[in-house]
Amino acid sequence: MSGTRGDLSTQRHAGHAGCVGHAIDTARVLAAVGDVDAGGNVLFVGTARGTTDGAVTHALNYDAHEPLAVATLDALRRDAIARFGLVACAVVHRLGTVPPGEACVAVATSAPHRAAAFAAAEWLMTAIKRDVPIWKAEERPDGRREWLHPESAPRPGGGS
Amino acid sequence: MLSSDHRERSPTLRIAVFAGMADLVGGRTVEMPWSGGTVADARRLVAERHPPAAILLSRSAFAVGSHYVADDAPLAADDDVAIIPPVSGG
Repeated sequence: MSGTRGDLSTQRHAGHAGCVGHAIDTARVLAAVGDVDAGGNVLFVGTARGTTDGAVTHALNYDAHEPLAVATLDALRRDAIARFGLVACAVVHRLGTVPPGEACVAVATSAPHRAAAFAAAEWLMTAIKRDVPIWKAEERPDGRREWLHPESAPRPGGGS
Repeated sequence: MLSSDHRERSPTLRIAVFAGMADLVGGRTVEMPWSGGTVADARRLVAERHPPAAILLSRSAFAVGSHYVADDAPLAADDDVAIIPPVSGG
């Protein structure tokens, strides 16, 4: 992958996208975008909140159409690299049960200067929430589980 | 013997469902006899079989493999079909 000086052509567009069923190693996600040509490195970590609008969340649970989710995450990752002139980009989303305080999603971007890295991370998070076939349920302390399918969201797949 | 032969020959469409849609249809897959048709036909059949899912279904997309498909796209019984309701990841 990236992080060492070598054949520059293979370092370009480095990074990865994926889903995992265990705790996200956020340091590793950040390390994946390190490069001698990157002066700005941003790591965004989205974590499970213990309360939302006053309601206690026992845990979050994520479901996904995994092949389509991974393909979409990777397409967004490549799009971010092209749009923002990134050196590298990595995206990891966790699936299954996520207790409060633990990471649900991690996005790392690197660019020659920090502005592009920050902007790309923000753009990616917005795109992930809008486009990737992953769903979140809030598990309540009483065992109830509510899947979130936002009314305001456009039909997935876009276009039509 | 006859009935099992018949079952093997009768084409079935298997649709993967997720999240709230899985709760509404009571499982991770919806299966129905399929002699051919479009996404719109499958959409109508799923809604008829699972009325509580009709509203969420109307806000959902369909995918075959790792591509979204439009309502007028034809579906074959061996296609890897999935219903994709509005997403909430991140």
